[in-house]
Formats: sequence, structure tokens, C-alpha cells
Amino acid sequence: MEKTNVSSQKTALRIALVAVLTAVVVVFTLMVRVPTPLKGYISLCDVVIYFAAYLFGPWAAAIAGGLGTGLADLLGGYAQWAPLSFIIHGAQGLLVALIARAPISAGVRGDAPFIRMVMGGLLGVIVMAGGYYIAGGFLYGFEPALVEVPLNLLQAGVGMVLGIIVSKTVQKAYPPVRSLYW
Amino acid sequence: MTTNTFIAGKGFLYRFDPRAKLLLLVLLCAFVFLPVSMPGLWLVVAVVFLTTWSSTGFKQALHPLRSILPLLIIMVVFIPLTHRDSEVVLSISGFPLVTTGALENFNLLAARFIGITYMCTLFFWTTPMGDIMLTLRWYGLSHKAALVLTLAFRFIPFIADAFQMIQDSHSMREPNLGEKDRRRQPLADVVPTVTSALVFALKSIPQLAMSLEHRGFGRAGARSAYRRLAPRKGLFTHFFFSVMIPASLWLVFNTLG
Repeated sequence: MEKTNVSSQKTALRIALVAVLTAVVVVFTLMVRVPTPLKGYISLCDVVIYFAAYLFGPWAAAIAGGLGTGLADLLGGYAQWAPLSFIIHGAQGLLVALIARAPISAGVRGDAPFIRMVMGGLLGVIVMAGGYYIAGGFLYGFEPALVEVPLNLLQAGVGMVLGIIVSKTVQKAYPPVRSLYW
Repeated sequence: MTTNTFIAGKGFLYRFDPRAKLLLLVLLCAFVFLPVSMPGLWLVVAVVFLTTWSSTGFKQALHPLRSILPLLIIMVVFIPLTHRDSEVVLSISGFPLVTTGALENFNLLAARFIGITYMCTLFFWTTPMGDIMLTLRWYGLSHKAALVLTLAFRFIPFIADAFQMIQDSHSMREPNLGEKDRRRQPLADVVPTVTSALVFALKSIPQLAMSLEHRGFGRAGARSAYRRLAPRKGLFTHFFFSVMIPASLWLVFNTLG
């Protein structure tokens, strides 16, 4: 009987990891909403992107974040935003993970250091809000695009805080999560 | 949660090959950013809107407009702050409220934004998700990437249902109606639900990976492969139209010559 090798087993796990995380990003974007004081809502897609970046590394966060938010835009009726969300949230996940998990990539055992999680998270907030500002500027003008900046900062900021909290609580609730990595 | 954007309808777009349709979408999206005359740009927007109307019905065709209406209103509100130095059209107590430059800028941005919105929406409304996937495969999307996408689509309703159940069960822990001793904390309240949903989703990963291996993933002789889009008659003609429509529009409406 033909056997699968270790490399293909690893690839199967990576595909499963990214597919499930992508689905979670879509669900969190479309279903989970936190009310804001202005009677609006912010989505929690950033929570999953930060969570993936802190626990699973840059590629899982970039692909799941980009694909998930792009698909959510398609399914939510905002198809014109899908390619932009793919790039912006993909870059966000990639950069957050690269900074937060740099010691782990260098061979240091353990979790991502808290200070690096915050540093990477803040960069992610800037990338997300800045990315949508530039994209919005080209699509419907830089002055109107300013209106969305505070909301995007709030959404990404909340995503960062919850992402850090949830990455800790999930590790406590489900320790085998450490065996799932890119 | 629905994971399908296709809307059954009638018209030539439903018969148009999805590969050629995707090329047409990309070229038309590029066209609206080129230096073209405003009547030309609005003509393209009008044709795209009328195509949406004839394909899916008037009520359905208004949906994209409704979704971008808040942004269009914000654009109108911001008109007074842009292009203050050009010729004043309307002023209140000496403050230039509307200028010709601002109106031209709004005209251009609104046409672009509405056009892109309708073009993208129309593509996804008139093309089944399966065909979109096969089109992307035809354009070179790798087998692994296609697998990730299809698996994600398979898992979205599953995780959405689970999330709903988790949310419902957590909401039962909240204080009874009328008990006002506990202030509601939106963010703190969401952590247990999000944690449970993530754990639930993560638990399915090893099983999914094993299923992939059982299905023969990674073996030299693959047991299954993606269906290919059938080589259909008239594909060349469809591609020809996809290139010729934007090219002709550019030749007619460009403002360079």
C-alpha cells in the first residue's frame, strides 16, 4: 500500500489549518459584531487574524486573514472590497506574526513575548487602518476616506487586545493547539 | 449562513464564458481608472447598471447602490472641504460651499466607485461559485490553494452554526431581564464565546487533515482531481469580446488624443 510521507502529512495539516482559520475569519466577520457608542458595529475578523498570527505564524495568518476577509466581503455583498481586503488583511497578519514570533522563528522555545505581541499588534493596526485609508482614497477620495480611519483603528485595536487575550485563553482551554503550526 | 452569491437570472452574461468574463471584469475595472471623458465613464456605468437590471431584476439591481449609499453621502458631505481654490459655484456667508473642482472630483469618484461596485457584483451574481473556482484553476490557481478555498466554503456553514449555538448557550449565563446590578461589558462578554468557538474550530483541524490523507492527499497517484471547465465552442469569440469591449471604449472615450 502506498504511504504518505511526512512532508505531505505536514502539508495536509497546513491546508486543514488554513482552511478552518479562513472559515473562522469569514464567520467572525459576518456574524460577530460588537456595538459601538455611535450605534454602529465593528466586526471581530481582526481577532482571528491576530490570534492566527500569534499562534500559527506569518503564512497561516496572512493566507487565512486575506482569504477570509476577502470571502466575507464577497458573501456580504461588498465584492469591490474583496481584493483590497485580501491584500490589506493579508499584509496585516504577515507583519504581526513576523514581529511577534521573531524569537520563535530564531529557535527560542515558548510563546511569543508579550511586548512583541503588542509591537506587532500596533503595526498591524497601522497597516490595516492605513491600508484601507489609501484604498478608500483611490476609490472614493482621500477626504471621505478619513471618516473610516477612527473606526478601523478601533476595530483593529479591539482585535489586537482580544487577539492577545484569546490566544492565551485558547492555549489554556485546548493545549494541543501548540502542536498545530505552519 | 449562505455561501453562494449566484443569483439565477437570464441574459447574455449567464451564457458568457466565466474565463472571458473574469478578463472583461479586470479590464473594465482598469478602464475606469484611465483618463476617459466623464460622459464615457457614466455611459459605461449606466450600461453596467442596465445589464444588472435586465439580468437580475430592478429590485435586486438596487442592492449594491443601497450598500454604498452611506459612502456616497459621506462623499457629498465632504465636497465643501475639497478643491477650495477653484471657481465657486455656491457659497454661504463667504464660505465656498461648492466649487467646480469639487463637483468634477465628486463626479469622477462617484462614477468610478459605482461602476466598480456594479461590475464586481454582477460578475459574482451571474457566475456560480463552482465555475469561479474552476476559472481560477484555469488561470493557474494551484491545487492546494483551490483545496483551501473549497474546504473553507465547506466549513463556513458548519462553524457558523456551531458559533450560533455557542453564543446562545453563553447568553443563558447572562443576568435575568430586570436585574440591573451587573453592567453589560460588550468586550469582556465576548471573550468566552470567541474562545469556545475557536477551540471548537481548532478541534476539527486534525480530523480534517486525516481525512485529506485518507482521501489520498500527497500520494503520487492522486485518486481525485478537480473538474476542468469544458473547452466550449465560441471561447475565442468570448475572449475577443472581452478584450475588444474595453479597448473600443478606451479608443472612443480617452482624453489623451
